[in-house]
Amino acid sequence: MELRLPDITENDELVTITLWFVKENERVSKDQDLVEVMTDKATFSVASPWDGLITKINRVAGEEVERDEVLAEIRENKDQRFTTDL
Amino acid sequence: MNIRDLGIVDYEKSLCFLEEMLTKRIRDEVSDTLILVQHRPVITFGRMADMNNIIDKTYFEQRQIPFSFTSRGGKITYHAPGQLVMYPIIDLKKKGRSVAFYIDFLEKVIVKSLNYIDVPATREDGRRGVYVTGKKIAFIGISLKKWVTYHGAAVNINNDTTAFSYINPCGEEGSRVISAAEYSGRKHDMRSVKKIFTEQFIEIFKNEYMCWREPVLHKTSEEDI
Repeated sequence: MELRLPDITENDELVTITLWFVKENERVSKDQDLVEVMTDKATFSVASPWDGLITKINRVAGEEVERDEVLAEIRENKDQRFTTDL
Repeated sequence: MNIRDLGIVDYEKSLCFLEEMLTKRIRDEVSDTLILVQHRPVITFGRMADMNNIIDKTYFEQRQIPFSFTSRGGKITYHAPGQLVMYPIIDLKKKGRSVAFYIDFLEKVIVKSLNYIDVPATREDGRRGVYVTGKKIAFIGISLKKWVTYHGAAVNINNDTTAFSYINPCGEEGSRVISAAEYSGRKHDMRSVKKIFTEQFIEIFKNEYMCWREPVLHKTSEEDI
């Protein structure tokens, strides 16, 4: 599953990754804050929509990102089984 | 809308209260809340700030004015008693509007409230904040967690603005700052000012957010014609 940058701006305002709260191969829970992004006057915490495992982080802190860009990939934990397999 | 007036409080202490209210709002344990506060002198750094925005560190050291590094957006600003700080804790999730729209909303509240006390405040194209005769009077720096807002806006009402000349407010070199009292040539009654800001906040909030509905596309069929 793809974690995308939410639609937080109305124009071409720059959005920058401030910091990641998690690392690749880390298990995350639904609603857990994963990454903070910022515009000129706002910081915004992006939460995980799913329980799962962070398989890839596409952008690092300091990089600019665009609306709807994929920030990370998460293997969704639908049935709880894979967590015990790891 | 709940209104909480904390009076004059240390920045760090009000931050604890702010985070407590944020958590409660995320859990839906409280409704949307507007927190009003005045801080004891403090320099706060937002996520984008760096120490280069301090022009003269000794000015603050001599006066024992602390520095605080926060999670809010924006760069650097100064707080002191006489400055009205608004921290709205609002759940934007179901209100269908962007972060930029919310910042516009805050600026509109400040402009209208200052106009109400005969201070000719305006917004400027391409610059965030609120201005009077080209000088900055209000500063914005917000955060959102789970689409709930925290941090907010600070408006110079009666505070001495000298300290701003020892920083680059909002990271803007040469930026000039003013207070409502400096413009008017007199101090304003803070109790009245808080009442006006609260009323304008509620009124504009209703107009901007409560009246908003998802646009509906009306299809025209042959039967309609």
